[in-house]
Amino acid sequence: MKKILRLSGILLCLYAFSYQATAQNKTIRGKITDEKGASVAFVSILVKGTDIGTSSSDSGSFTLQVPASARTLVISAVGFSTREVPVTEAFMDVTLVSFASSALDEVVVIGYGTQKVTKVSGAISTVKGAEIEKFKPVRTEDALQGRASGVTIISPGSPGAKPTVLIRGIPSYSGTDPVIVVDGSIQTLDDLNSISPADIESVNILKDAAGTAIYGVKGGNGVILITTKTGRKNQKTEISYSGMYGIQEVPNIIGVLNASEYAAIVNEGSVTSGGDLIFKDISNFGVGTNWQNEIFERAPITQHALTARGGSEKMSYFLSGAYLDQAGIVGGAGKSGFQRLTSTANLVFDLSKKFRFLVNTSYVNIKGKSISENAINGVISNSLNFDPTVGLLNTNPNVYGRFATSPNILSEIINPLTQLDNTYNYSNTNKLYGKMELQYTPMKDLTFTTRFGYTYTNIGGKAFNPLAFYGAGHINSTLNADGSPRPGAHNNVSEFATDYFNYVWETFGTYNFKINDVHNFETVAGISQSKNTGKSLGGSRQDVPFNSWSFADISAATGTAPNSGIDLYSWQYERRNLSYFGRINYDYDGKYLASFTARRDGSFAFGADNKFANFFAGSLGWVVSNEDFWNSDLIDLFKIRGSYGVTGNENVSPQFQRISNEVYLYNLGQNAGYTFGNNPTSIGSTIASYRNDALAWEKQNQFNVGFDMRFLKSKFNLSADYYRRDISGLLFNPTLSLYLGTAALPVANIGTTETKGVDITLGYTSTLGKNLKLNTYATFTTAENLVTETNQGLITGGTYGIPGQSITRFEKGFAPGYFFGWKTDGLYQNETDIKNGASQLGAQPGDIRFVDVNEDGVIDANDRTQIGNPFPKFTIGWGLNLEYKGFDFTTFWYGSFGNDVYRAYERNLAMTNKNRMVLGRWTGENTTNDARFPRYSFVDDNLNARASDRYLEDGSFVKIKDLQFGYSFSSAALKKLKISKLRAFTQIRNAFTFTNYSGFDPEIAGGIFESGIDRGIFPQARTWSFGIDVRF
Amino acid sequence: MKSLKIFCIALSSTLIVGGCSKFIDYDPVEDYQITADLFFTSSADYQKAVIATYSPLQWLWANVVIGDVATDNSVTGGENATDQIGFQQIDDYTHNPINNYLEEAWKSCFEGINRANWLEENKEKLQFSGKDALYGEVYFLRAYYYFELVRFFGDVPLFTERRLTVSDSRSLQRTPKAEVYKQIEKDLNAAITALPATNPQKGRITKHAAQALLGKVLLYQGKFDAAATMLESVIAGPFSLVPDFGSIFLQNGENGPESVFEIQYSNLSPFFDWSNPGRGQGNLAVQVTGIRNITGTSPYGQGWSTNLPTKNLADAYKTGDRRKAVTILDIEAYKTANPQFNITYLTAPFKNTGLYNQKYSPRKGETSGQVELNYLNNFRTIRFADVLLMAAEANNRKATPDATKAQTYLNTVRRRAFGNNNNDITLTSTLLTEAIWEERRLEFAMEGDRFFDLVRTGKAASRITGFVVGKNEVFPIPQNEIDVSGLAQNPGY
Repeated sequence: MKKILRLSGILLCLYAFSYQATAQNKTIRGKITDEKGASVAFVSILVKGTDIGTSSSDSGSFTLQVPASARTLVISAVGFSTREVPVTEAFMDVTLVSFASSALDEVVVIGYGTQKVTKVSGAISTVKGAEIEKFKPVRTEDALQGRASGVTIISPGSPGAKPTVLIRGIPSYSGTDPVIVVDGSIQTLDDLNSISPADIESVNILKDAAGTAIYGVKGGNGVILITTKTGRKNQKTEISYSGMYGIQEVPNIIGVLNASEYAAIVNEGSVTSGGDLIFKDISNFGVGTNWQNEIFERAPITQHALTARGGSEKMSYFLSGAYLDQAGIVGGAGKSGFQRLTSTANLVFDLSKKFRFLVNTSYVNIKGKSISENAINGVISNSLNFDPTVGLLNTNPNVYGRFATSPNILSEIINPLTQLDNTYNYSNTNKLYGKMELQYTPMKDLTFTTRFGYTYTNIGGKAFNPLAFYGAGHINSTLNADGSPRPGAHNNVSEFATDYFNYVWETFGTYNFKINDVHNFETVAGISQSKNTGKSLGGSRQDVPFNSWSFADISAATGTAPNSGIDLYSWQYERRNLSYFGRINYDYDGKYLASFTARRDGSFAFGADNKFANFFAGSLGWVVSNEDFWNSDLIDLFKIRGSYGVTGNENVSPQFQRISNEVYLYNLGQNAGYTFGNNPTSIGSTIASYRNDALAWEKQNQFNVGFDMRFLKSKFNLSADYYRRDISGLLFNPTLSLYLGTAALPVANIGTTETKGVDITLGYTSTLGKNLKLNTYATFTTAENLVTETNQGLITGGTYGIPGQSITRFEKGFAPGYFFGWKTDGLYQNETDIKNGASQLGAQPGDIRFVDVNEDGVIDANDRTQIGNPFPKFTIGWGLNLEYKGFDFTTFWYGSFGNDVYRAYERNLAMTNKNRMVLGRWTGENTTNDARFPRYSFVDDNLNARASDRYLEDGSFVKIKDLQFGYSFSSAALKKLKISKLRAFTQIRNAFTFTNYSGFDPEIAGGIFESGIDRGIFPQARTWSFGIDVRF
Repeated sequence: MKSLKIFCIALSSTLIVGGCSKFIDYDPVEDYQITADLFFTSSADYQKAVIATYSPLQWLWANVVIGDVATDNSVTGGENATDQIGFQQIDDYTHNPINNYLEEAWKSCFEGINRANWLEENKEKLQFSGKDALYGEVYFLRAYYYFELVRFFGDVPLFTERRLTVSDSRSLQRTPKAEVYKQIEKDLNAAITALPATNPQKGRITKHAAQALLGKVLLYQGKFDAAATMLESVIAGPFSLVPDFGSIFLQNGENGPESVFEIQYSNLSPFFDWSNPGRGQGNLAVQVTGIRNITGTSPYGQGWSTNLPTKNLADAYKTGDRRKAVTILDIEAYKTANPQFNITYLTAPFKNTGLYNQKYSPRKGETSGQVELNYLNNFRTIRFADVLLMAAEANNRKATPDATKAQTYLNTVRRRAFGNNNNDITLTSTLLTEAIWEERRLEFAMEGDRFFDLVRTGKAASRITGFVVGKNEVFPIPQNEIDVSGLAQNPGY
C-alpha cells in the first residue's frame, strides 16, 4: 500500500497559519487541498482517540480547538486516503499530505458493510452522488443509464414511469428487477421514483455472485445499493439549495399523410379493391390537420432541493426537502404529469461510547396523472391514425362537443383531442420509509448492529370515464350528437386505495481482525427477517352526476346494483422470508484477496419440501502491482480477480390445492357451473389447482473474471469483466398424465437460460495546463441471452394489431423476448412470381412475398420465426466533464446498438391515416421490390399487414442525454453573504438522438415482452432548462 | 481473540433465538383461499361439488359431432381441408393419435371422473339428508364419463376411490374394457337405488335416466335380457313421445315429456374465452354446424358449415317421413320455398352437400355474449324414443325373443314419424333387428350415436368408407397421454 501511495505521490498541503495556546486548549488552523492545490471541503479532522473534531469548510480551511494532550489528528474524507498527522510540538505549519486520485482508497458499499476498492474481488459498478446530483434525474435509474457498466436501462418517456433495468442480461421471463437497498433497507425498483437526487451519496451496483450472494434468493437479478447522505460530527451547518426550471418538448414527430395525400390514397385503396371513389374531389383538402401537433405541447419541469447537514459532539444530521414537478408533453400538466415532494432526515446519535443510534426517515408524496399511451387506441396512436381531413374544432352548433368528429372513421380510432379531454385520473402516493439502527461496539473492530428498515406506501387513485361523443356513427360514442346519452350507456368512476408495508429486520455482527499483521480478516454474520405485505380495496360505480369530473366520486354516483352499477374488488398478499448470512473477506498483505459468502434463505413461497435454500459464493483476487517484483511506472495498480457463486430468484408464489367457486375460470378453462333447465347457472365447486411441495427458487450460477488497472499516474483507470450466468429453475408447467384431469397444473422449476457478456469501464482524469480540469469516462456493456429449456412450453408476450398477434416470445433456442413473425422477401411483381413461389393464399402482384421458412411449399403460421430482438447487443455510455476556471461543461452520451423496434402504431384500417411510407407503394411491375412498400388496397387478402419484419426497424441509437454549461461565481461579495458556492447552469436533456428509427423515440421500455414495441409511445422529452446551485 | 469469542457467542445465540422457521410457513387461508382441506363441511359444499361434476358434460360437444362425421351420416365440411382438422381426419379415416377433439374428450371425461371421485373420497366426512340421492347423481355421471371413454377408446385407466394428484401422474395403465363396464354397471345400479324417479329441477339426473343409460350399457355388451328388463322399467315411467317431432329440437322443447337425459347448455352465463371455446355454458356444436354468412329474416343464425348431412342420409328417409325435414335443412330448397326471408348465404367452401344439421342449427336469439360460444341448445342425449328402440332391439335379441313387443315399440316410434300407422313394420327375427337398426339411424341422425351403433352392430365396415376392421372400432389414445403415461396404443394407430 505504501508503494502505491508513493507512486501516486502527490502532495497536498495544509498550511497552519497560526495557533493560540490557552490554558488547556490550543487552536489549530489549517487548509486542506488536493494534489492540484484545490481546496477540499467536508474533510473530517479528528483528534485521535477523542470525539473532538471538525470538518473543513468549502475553501478547505478549518479551525479546531484541541486539548493540550492532543498528539495526532486523523484526517479523512470520502475519496481520499485517511491521514494521521502528528500535532507537532510547535503547533506551527502543520502540513497534511493527502492523496487524491486515490480512488485506490475509496470504499465501496457492499452488502452489510463496506470494503476498500483495492480489496474488492467481485464486480461492482459505482456512480457517485455528485454525478447524480448534477444530472438531476427524475428517477435515480436515469442517472445510472450508461454510467454503470453491466447495467442496461431502457427509459420510458412518461413522467415518473418505471424503466426496464437489467443487470447483466435477461435471466427470466418475469421478475427481472434488481433488488434495491437504500441504506440497508430493502426496496423494489418501483420505489426509485421516491428518492431526491440531492440525497444520494453514492450508488453501488453489485453485479456478480461475490457481491449478490449475501442477498441470496433476492440477489439473482443484481443489487443496487443506494447510500444517502449523512452529516458529520462537529461539522458546521452547511445549507445547499439547488433549483432548476425547464421546458420540455417533443424532439420530432412522425411523418403521416396530410389531408390531400390521405384522400388520394384512400381513393386508391377503395378503387383497387373494386369500390368507388370515396372522396370525389380531393382538390380542396390542403394539408389538413396533423394531430400530433395538437396533442404535443411544451411542458414545464421544475426541481427544487434544499439540504442541510452538520453535526455536534454527540450527533450529526442530514436534512433535505425537495420538490419536483414534471408535466407531460402530451396533454400538458392537466392530463399527464408527475409531482414529487420528498423530505428526509438522517440522524446519527452517539448514545454512549459504545452505542450509536441511527434513524433515517423519509416522507414522500407523489401525485400523478396519466394518459393512455403505447396502446393501440392510446392518445398518441390515435394522433397518428386519426382523420387528417377534419378541422380542429367542431363548427356545427347542433352537434355536441368541442372538437371535430370524423365522418370517415367510425370505429376504434377517435379524435385524440376529445380523448385527452375525456381523460380524467389521478393517483396520490404517500410513502414513509427509512430505518432505525442500533450499533453496539463493545470493543475495537467488533460491532453488533440491529436494524429495522421499513417502507410504508399508500396509493390512492381515481379514474373517470365520462360519456363521450366521438362522432354520430362512431361505435365508441356513448352520447348522441345532441349530447343525450345513448341507450344503455353509462359513465363510470373507479377508485382504489392500496397499502403496502414492507419491513426487514436484520441483526448482524462485524468483526475485523489481523493475524501477524499481514492476514487481514473482515467478517460479518447475521440473521434477517422480512415481510412484504400489500392490500387493496377498489371499486367503481356508474352514473356520475352531470357527467362531470367535479362530481366523479363513488359517493356521488347514483348507479345501483345489480346491473353492475357498483363493482367492488379487493386483494391482498403477504410474503415472508427468514435468512442467515455470513461473509469472510480475507487479504494477505493487500496482495492476495479472497472472500467467501454464504446465505441460507427460507421463504414462505417455497414448497413444504424445499423451505430453505443455500447460496454460496467465493472470490479470489491478486493485486499484482503490490508484488515486490512489480515496478512499473506506467501501471500503478493491476488487480486480477475472479468469482463464482450461486444466487437465487424468488419469482414464485405458493402452489396449493385451491377450490374454485366460479362458473368459469378464464385461461384455465376450468368451469364449475352447470345450468339446469332455464334456471340461472348453478355455481359449483371444484379443485382448480394442485400443490407443488417441491416448488423452489430460480437458481443462478454466475462466473466472473476481471481486472482493474490504473495507469499513467492513475490518470487512467480501466476495469473489465467477463461473466457468464446459468439460470435454472424457471417456472413452467410440467408435463403430467392427462388422466389427472384439467385442474391447472402447478408450476415447477423447469426452464433454463444462459447469459454471457462483458462490462468495461474506462476513465481518465487529469488537469491540462493550469486550469483545465478534465474528467472523461466510458462504459461498455454487452449481454448475450439464450433460453435453453422451457419444457416445450413458451411464453408469448406483447401483441400487435387487432385482433392481437403475439410478436414477442420466450422460447427455447432463442433470445428472451425475441420478435416473432413472418420474414418478407420483397414483392410479387407479377402472376408468374406468384406461381413460382411457395403457395401463399390471396397473393396478387404488388403483395408481399413471405419466406417459406420451413420449406413445405406453403406460407402459413408455421413459417413464423425470429425476426428481431428488442434488446441491444451492446450499450455504450460516454461522459465528459470539463472545468476551466469558473466555467464547467458536462456532456453525457448513451448509445444502444442492435435493438430492434416493432412499429405497431399503424392501425391499417381502410380509413385510418397512414405513415408516409405508403407513398412509396408498389404501383406496377418493378416500381419497387421493397417489402415495406406493398400495393395499397382496402382489401388485404394477402395479409400484408400480418406481423412481419415489414414493421421491424433497427432501433439502434446514440442519444446526447445531457449537455450542461455552468459557471461558478466567486467574489468577495458572495463571501460576505457567507455563500461558499454559487453555480448557475443551463442544461439540455435528450438534446439529440442519432438513429435510423422512423418513430418518436427508439428507446421503448416494457420489461421482457413489451420493450421495443412502439404502439405510439410517450417519447422522452427534450428539456431546455436552467438553474442554480448554492451552498451556504 | 477475546473479541472473536464474544462475536461467535453473540451470533450463535442470535441465530438460535431469532431463527423461528414457522415465520415462513404458508397457509392459503392467509390469502382467504379455500383449500380442499376446508371443504365438505356443509351439505351445500356437497351440492356444489356435484354441480361441478356435471360441468364436463358440456365440454363433450365434439363427441356428438364425431358420432356422425365418422359415419355415412355427415361430412366435416368447413372452410378447407385443414379447417377443423380433428373432425376432418375422422371423417376421412386418416385420424391419428394427435387429434384435439379426441384429446379434449379424453381429458374432459377424466376431469369428470376426478370430480366424481373427489366426492367419493369425501363421502364419509359429513352426514346430511338427501346425501344418498346426491351421490346417485355422482355415480351416474361417473358411469356416463366412463361409458364415453369405453365407447371411444376401449380399455382405459380405471380409478374410483379418490381424485388423482400430481404424484399419480404416470402411475396408471389401461384397465380391460370388461372391468370398466363392470364398474359402470355397479355405479348405475347404485344410482338407480339412490335416485328419485323425478326431480323438480329440470335437467337433473333421475332414476329413469340411470335405468336408460344402464339399458344402453347392457345393450352395448350384448346383455339383452337384462337390457330389456331395465329399459322396460323406463317405459313404465312418466315419459311419452312428443307428437310433433320437430318441436323436440326447439328451445321450448327442451327437457320435455320425451326427455330422459339431456346435457344442459345455456346462454344465461355469457362466455368469451376463445382459448377454451367449448368450456362455457354454451353449446359449440351448434355454432360449428350453422350456415356461413346467412342473412335475411329466417330463424337461422350464422355458423361454420361443419358436420354437414350427406345425401346418403337424406335419401334414407322415405317419402312421408317427417323426420327428414327436422333432421336435414336443404338450404337451397328452403331459400326457394321462403322468398320472404331474403336469404343470402355462402356455400360451404369445402365438401359442400348443400345440407345442414337442422336439429342443432344455430337459431337467432338463442345465444349471448360472444355469440359463437353461447348457444343454449341442450343435447337430447337419451330420448324416450331411444329407450323404445333400445327396448325393441333388446326384446328381439334376448334369449327368448319377443318380436311382438319389439314391433310395438318400433312402430310407436314410426307412427309418430309418419303421422299414421301405414308404415308399421311386421318383420321378425334378424330382419326385425335390421329394421330397428335402420330406424335408429333415421330417428337419431345428427344426434351423435350413429358411429357407436354401427360399431356395436358390426356394420361399420360395410357402411363407412375407409373403416378398417380391427382398428377403427375405437379411436386412438391421445399421443400426449401415450408420451407421458406410457399407455399402450390401440392396435393399428
